Amino acid sequence: MRSNRKIRITALLFLAPTIIGLLVFRLIPIGWSFALSFYDWKIFDTPQFVGLGNYAHIFTSPTAHKVFLNSAYFSAIYVPGSIALALVLAVLLNNGLRSSAFFRGAFFLPYITSTVAVTLAWRWIFSTKFGLLNNALDWVGVDNPPAWLADPMWALPAVALVSIWKDVGFYMILLLAGLQTIDPTLYEAARVDGAKPVQRFFKITVPMLSRSLFFVLILALVRSTQTFEITYALTNGGPNRASTTLAFYVYQNAFVEFEMGYAAALSYIMCFILGLLTLTNFYFRKRWVHED
Amino acid sequence: MKTDIHPNRGTARGTLFALYAVLIAYALITLMPFIWMLVTSFKEARDVFKLPPSFVPTKLFTDEPFGNYTEIWTQRDFVIFFRNSAFVSFMAAIGQVFATSLAGYAFARLDLPGKNWLFALVLVTAFVPVEVTIIPEFLIMRGLGWIDTFLPLIVPSFLVGAFGTFMLREYFGSLPKDYGDAAYVDGATPFQIFWKVYLPLAQPALVSIFVIAFINNWDELLRPLLFLNSDELKTVPLGLMSFVSQYEASWTLLMAGSVISTLPLIVIYMLTQRYVLQGFVGGGVKG
Repeated sequence: MRSNRKIRITALLFLAPTIIGLLVFRLIPIGWSFALSFYDWKIFDTPQFVGLGNYAHIFTSPTAHKVFLNSAYFSAIYVPGSIALALVLAVLLNNGLRSSAFFRGAFFLPYITSTVAVTLAWRWIFSTKFGLLNNALDWVGVDNPPAWLADPMWALPAVALVSIWKDVGFYMILLLAGLQTIDPTLYEAARVDGAKPVQRFFKITVPMLSRSLFFVLILALVRSTQTFEITYALTNGGPNRASTTLAFYVYQNAFVEFEMGYAAALSYIMCFILGLLTLTNFYFRKRWVHED
Repeated sequence: MKTDIHPNRGTARGTLFALYAVLIAYALITLMPFIWMLVTSFKEARDVFKLPPSFVPTKLFTDEPFGNYTEIWTQRDFVIFFRNSAFVSFMAAIGQVFATSLAGYAFARLDLPGKNWLFALVLVTAFVPVEVTIIPEFLIMRGLGWIDTFLPLIVPSFLVGAFGTFMLREYFGSLPKDYGDAAYVDGATPFQIFWKVYLPLAQPALVSIFVIAFINNWDELLRPLLFLNSDELKTVPLGLMSFVSQYEASWTLLMAGSVISTLPLIVIYMLTQRYVLQGFVGGGVKG
């Protein structure tokens, strides 16, 4: 039929930008990066094929090990921290109070504001001697508060805390949307049966919210592996790489050291770990996610 | 006080008090960096390193209360960074509306063999971390001779956007088919049906996509860092970072710059809050 052909031609024209974009900015780079990971290439030299050399180097390099541990540590703070806080805030705001809209707006604010700008404000707050945080700690009687961004022990948790502060409002909004779908009569029935608030939370809220929680868990996991702006503006990965996570290390290798092949291999390992974590979570999904 | 205090009412009031205490405490933590940024931007440079830190915006009580702002805006060229960011973010947001409305509509409403595979590919590749694709992206832009131009920050937005495509595919799919059928009977071409019938109906979703793309591009640091070298092309985040290295101790200026770069986003968010929240909840992913 003629009209059918017309529709196909229109569809093809409509999808032309997407097809070109998919090819040039997704598929070709994904393949190219994989190929690059088998080469030793400083950007201005000729590429040298090294087989699995880059990967072997990653597995034996103490710096890479440190970066992997940092990444795991970062995720271990960020993922449970942001989800637990988002859940608490969402439950507190899901009560029909008139002021809820104000608090919801305030908690979401960090997520949509300029990352570099607010991170610089945090950098000033974390400042060892003149910063707001240490002066507040001093005021409540803490002796020798840490140097935060200059302290190898605290730099990474500081980056994680700022990241949680920035993103928690987003997860809260997603969980609030989930909470609003829970049937209020469930709570009334539980109350009549004498269930305490804590019991109601764990026996009703968490199971009924499990699908939203799973979604938030995956999002938080993905985001936890990709921190860049906050690290760049807060610590630049220091001191002595103490706050360098994998995504930041890829950037440093590629665009500070110009070790393109090594950076590509690192990025593929990062992608592999992320894929594995996501699949593991989907595998365990049925154990705790409640389907209606 | 009322005389007949019901035992339950006492606990309810206590609970409410605790609830507000927690909410206000966290709101303070959330807003503190903004407050501190604002206060510091209105301080005299010499008051920044006073101990204990004070919340008094001392500069407000002088002849030039906005001195830090005028200094960073005019003498330190912040106006140029601001203009660059506004231009790049606006163009990229237009690009996203263009690319994703076409693609979202085609995926929802037009027949093409293999389109579902294509859609799946758009979504799956969006989950590949940017770290994997950024090196070849850089090499492609360098090959095209686009380094140190705005093109690498704008052109990709005109081609593909997984979040917007996903959102608009859902949106167009939820609109009644009858409208298009009626227009078809009246002799409208597939393009006219899209342009005159369905696109106007998708306005709320298009606003969300525009605003979210604008915010994301305003916020972007990695790509401007890689693709721009000249000072006169720098965007706001890049400009702020260059101030850090140049005047590490000028916190009053830095915080004035931070306020300037945060303000447009707060204003846009407040004006379009409904669309933005819907967009984030509906689409689920940023980027």
